[in-house]
Amino acid sequence: MSNTDQETLAVTQSRRPPFYRDATVLKWLAQVAALALVLFALIFMAGQAGSNLQAKDIATGYDFLGVSLGSDLGSGIDTNPDTSGRALWVGMVNTIRVSIGGILLASVLGVVVGVGRLSSNWLVKRSCSVYVETLRNIPLLVQIILIFAVIASLPRVAIDQGPIHGWLHISNKGVSIPRVHIGDGFYQWLIFLLIGAAVGLWVKRRRSQRHDVIGRDTYPVASFVAVVAAFALAGWFAHPIFGWVGGIFDFIASVLDALTQQLVQLLISAAAAAAAVLWIRRFLARHRTPAGRTKLSDDDYFRVIFAGLAAVLAVLFVTVGWPGFSSWIINSGRDLFEVLGDKFGDGRTGQPIDAKRPDIEQLGNFPNYGPAGLNLTQGLAAVYFGVVLYTAAFIAEIVRAGIQAVPKGQTEAAQALGLRRLTMLRRVILPQALRVILPPLGNQYLNLTKNTSLALAIGYTDLVQVGQTVYNQTGKTLEVVSIWMLFYLACSLTISVVVNFFNVRLKIVER
Amino acid sequence: MSVSDATTALTEALAARDDMIVCEGVNKWFGDFQALDEISAVIKEREVVVVLGPSGSGKSTWIRCINRLEVHQEGRIVVDGIELSNDLRNIEKIRSEVGMVFQQFNLFPHLTVLDNITLAPIWVRKKPKRESDDTARSLLERVGIPEQAEKYPGQLSGGQQQRVAIARALAMEPRIMLFDEPTSALDPEMIKEVLDVMKELARSGMTMMVVTHEMGFAREVADRVIFMEEGQIVETGTPEHFFTDPREERTKLFLSQIL
Repeated sequence: MSNTDQETLAVTQSRRPPFYRDATVLKWLAQVAALALVLFALIFMAGQAGSNLQAKDIATGYDFLGVSLGSDLGSGIDTNPDTSGRALWVGMVNTIRVSIGGILLASVLGVVVGVGRLSSNWLVKRSCSVYVETLRNIPLLVQIILIFAVIASLPRVAIDQGPIHGWLHISNKGVSIPRVHIGDGFYQWLIFLLIGAAVGLWVKRRRSQRHDVIGRDTYPVASFVAVVAAFALAGWFAHPIFGWVGGIFDFIASVLDALTQQLVQLLISAAAAAAAVLWIRRFLARHRTPAGRTKLSDDDYFRVIFAGLAAVLAVLFVTVGWPGFSSWIINSGRDLFEVLGDKFGDGRTGQPIDAKRPDIEQLGNFPNYGPAGLNLTQGLAAVYFGVVLYTAAFIAEIVRAGIQAVPKGQTEAAQALGLRRLTMLRRVILPQALRVILPPLGNQYLNLTKNTSLALAIGYTDLVQVGQTVYNQTGKTLEVVSIWMLFYLACSLTISVVVNFFNVRLKIVER
Repeated sequence: MSVSDATTALTEALAARDDMIVCEGVNKWFGDFQALDEISAVIKEREVVVVLGPSGSGKSTWIRCINRLEVHQEGRIVVDGIELSNDLRNIEKIRSEVGMVFQQFNLFPHLTVLDNITLAPIWVRKKPKRESDDTARSLLERVGIPEQAEKYPGQLSGGQQQRVAIARALAMEPRIMLFDEPTSALDPEMIKEVLDVMKELARSGMTMMVVTHEMGFAREVADRVIFMEEGQIVETGTPEHFFTDPREERTKLFLSQIL
């Protein structure tokens, strides 16, 4: 390179480029523009919706939640709710029940079928393939309606009332199986279980440390189970001694009752500010090296600014946006602890739990399952088995892919070291397969939860179906939809957080 | 004398003659393709045997049959007096006495170097963790990378990974080590560090069977060279004889292509 070339280069570098070519400036501009665009769109749409509603003379607001619904619900924790809000809550509980139960059963079934597809047994392998290919290629709605129709064609419940002397009863009313009932002394017994679990964890840790020292198997998990079982047995008889615990909850309830709205607003604002300050300080600390602070990138500045903004917004929300929020917290907190105080209270000395078989009773014109058994009513059974069978087909494929993604060399290396099949699966194959399985598995859990909204088609009282009833009676469509959206968002975020937690723990360090 | 008595007697006789690996008429097919064709060979204790041959000649298949990663269909394989059969207990016993090093290292990527090495001692030999850790650290010292114990395999170079793989196999205190092309996946400058470890192992008296393309290693370390082609053993001999004065035409052709 000649001398003059070098000079030109030096000059080009030292001069600041015009702003429209300056990468830093453009990046900031883009960020600000994007933020402005999003805010503008939100404000515009809210304004439009508001003026449209006003023009049609429809009042907005959530007052309808406190108004009587005037119709019964088919099934749930409360089939005759006082208010629309209570009805929506019943729907939410139903949705959560179906989702959690569905996730559990779909996972088990999916793993079984997925492993079955890799079996060397021809019949097992073929059956699992047929299962997956059939169920994942038929729309879920069709499957749900099919199950609903199949249950409807089952024999009617017999007239002879009373307990059914069996474990499982299937009829056109659905499915009923024995159920565990929570008894009077359950909550005191729960304290025994929790103490047992804590002691059990301690024993388990001691046992695994012992294993490290002596090398022989020390059965840490078995000892944990044994300790918890011992505490459960002792608590079965001794649980009344914890009657005083209820008093603690009563005391907390009275403390909450004594709080004022202003005080709670202040506390929340302080907590938000403290959280933001802590977060920013930790963020900056991470960027500090022994040599001094590293230069923050533009994105880092944005994060700091947004953390501060979030705190300000939170403070504005509790003080100006919704001042009643604080009294709501006080009231619901007090109610919660009063309920807890009652549950843990003195004088509840009965049996902690009890199991009953399904029974049949006739309240109206037709016999139906009574409250003794665990009843999957026709609609619930259709939705539940629909989403379970459908999602299990996808989970099976994910499990199969995850196991197949572990290179063959891993199995060979484990075999060459003399590891037994189960040890190999537990220590080598599964940890690596899970890493591949977990993220798409989380997606399937989200899908299952959202798919339960198809209950609408067969009239099972999940959140969407109840919501539809509510807005048909009140006309508050947008409000109900907003509740739906927030609810499903909360469910999805919860699942994401749980799955991500395990995902991070399983991550493989590569460099 | 029943058949099983005769087998036992023969097995004991074989073991008594300090033969570590005995193969008799081993045949194996992959579908129609015959991978191993009447392989018979005896490898003695403390012997270092290098198996050479063009790719596809069945070297790897043979070495993988010895710890049952592949199943031979005909013939007998006896390792340290234990016959390889469908008896799971025999297979387990043989696998815990035979260490193996692979071309692709096959380290467990989710475990640290130390955990890679201690996994089998803890879960197969039921040894205390602390004792296994100490053994693992001294093995890492032996293969020259004691400072890498807490890292993950993905953070190491190829040569370092292969040395960890050797340490992992040695942690089971094997009587025999099998090497399946241990340097073929390595960059040239890393081959030496792995070969040095193998040479040290050979000098310490380990019985070794090595499939490799490293002629220098064969010449320097091997007690015996076995040349294979198309699933058959073509020629066996000392390195001097093999490299300077091969008898078979096919051996000469192979050597002329690679040297």
